[in-house]
Amino acid sequence: MTRPKFAALTALGLAAAAVVCGATLATAAPSAGTTIATRKANFKKMGAAMKALKGELSGTPDKAAVLKAAKTIAATGRVQAKLFPAGTGPSSGEKTDALPAIWTKRATFDAGMTKLVTEADKLITVANTGNASAMQAQFRAVGGTCGACHKQFRAD
Amino acid sequence: MSEAPATTRIWDPTIRLFHWLLVGFVGFSWWTGEQHDMEWHRLSGYAILALLVFRLFWGFAGPRTARFGQFVKGPAAVAAYAKTLGSKQAHAADGHNPLGGWSTLALIGVLLMMVVAGLFAIDVDGWDGGPLSDYITFDQGRAFAAFHETVFNVILALVALHIAAIAFYAVWKRQRLVPAMITGKRKLDAGETAQELRWSPVLALVGIALGVAVAWAASTGFRF
Repeated sequence: MTRPKFAALTALGLAAAAVVCGATLATAAPSAGTTIATRKANFKKMGAAMKALKGELSGTPDKAAVLKAAKTIAATGRVQAKLFPAGTGPSSGEKTDALPAIWTKRATFDAGMTKLVTEADKLITVANTGNASAMQAQFRAVGGTCGACHKQFRAD
Repeated sequence: MSEAPATTRIWDPTIRLFHWLLVGFVGFSWWTGEQHDMEWHRLSGYAILALLVFRLFWGFAGPRTARFGQFVKGPAAVAAYAKTLGSKQAHAADGHNPLGGWSTLALIGVLLMMVVAGLFAIDVDGWDGGPLSDYITFDQGRAFAAFHETVFNVILALVALHIAAIAFYAVWKRQRLVPAMITGKRKLDAGETAQELRWSPVLALVGIALGVAVAWAASTGFRF
């Protein structure tokens, strides 16, 4: 093997390695801090949407506003379910109200997350009918899923 | 003439009722708050709001011992009174002493802040909150909720001070303040003449109606 060829191959190899490394870095799990910050922001978004629903349903609801809030909850709920990887609890050293029970009772937690999304989807369906009392009832069902999980999995 | 020890009236019935209802509802609010029983917690808060509004009204329309103008004293009077605290001699004048007057005002003020913060507070789920939370954003409502929690510690501290002061008077000055808040009377000292405690039942009813009206209006979020 000639010297220039060897140098070229080495360069190629290094470049390939760099690409692979770069790709790995890009897909690497974000830090616990980032994950916790993201899910907190998402929960706030859902809280604000719940509050918007509460406001709408305390009077004559505006169908479009109810739909928008319900869609926010359903879409954000789907994202949230994936934002509790192992190592993002209080042991991470980050400030979080997530209790260790999330990871010890994972199946219960995941079922609660699924239920939230299911109930939020139902709220979208109900909102489309425009029936105010049905919206009110389904809003309660969604709120119930918040409370049910928070009681077990969120520090007070 | 009766041989029973002579007494003098110091607390009118409405202020005694106010006091003990306040004790009960603050305790009940604490309990329901801890239990996250927001239905009862809200109702308890409205009751406290009605009591506080009545008390503010009574501070101007009530008998002498209820009036702010009578028991809220300047710093000189407070300092002078504080100097006599060490003495075993009981404070002879009726009603709140110059130091206790400020403690009363502080309690009323802090409880008012607590109730108002509660009216605007929203829970973390965004679906349960005070009747005025509809007027503000979720983040603002959460800030009120955080404040509501912080102020509770101040209430606990003031109540602890209140009870400690009562214990101090009972032990050090041999003056029992709790029976007076129950019966409305205290024993007359030798050579002391009983003073009248004039109050108007009509004005009391006005105060109660005012308290109930304000609390009811707030509970609807001022939507009539």
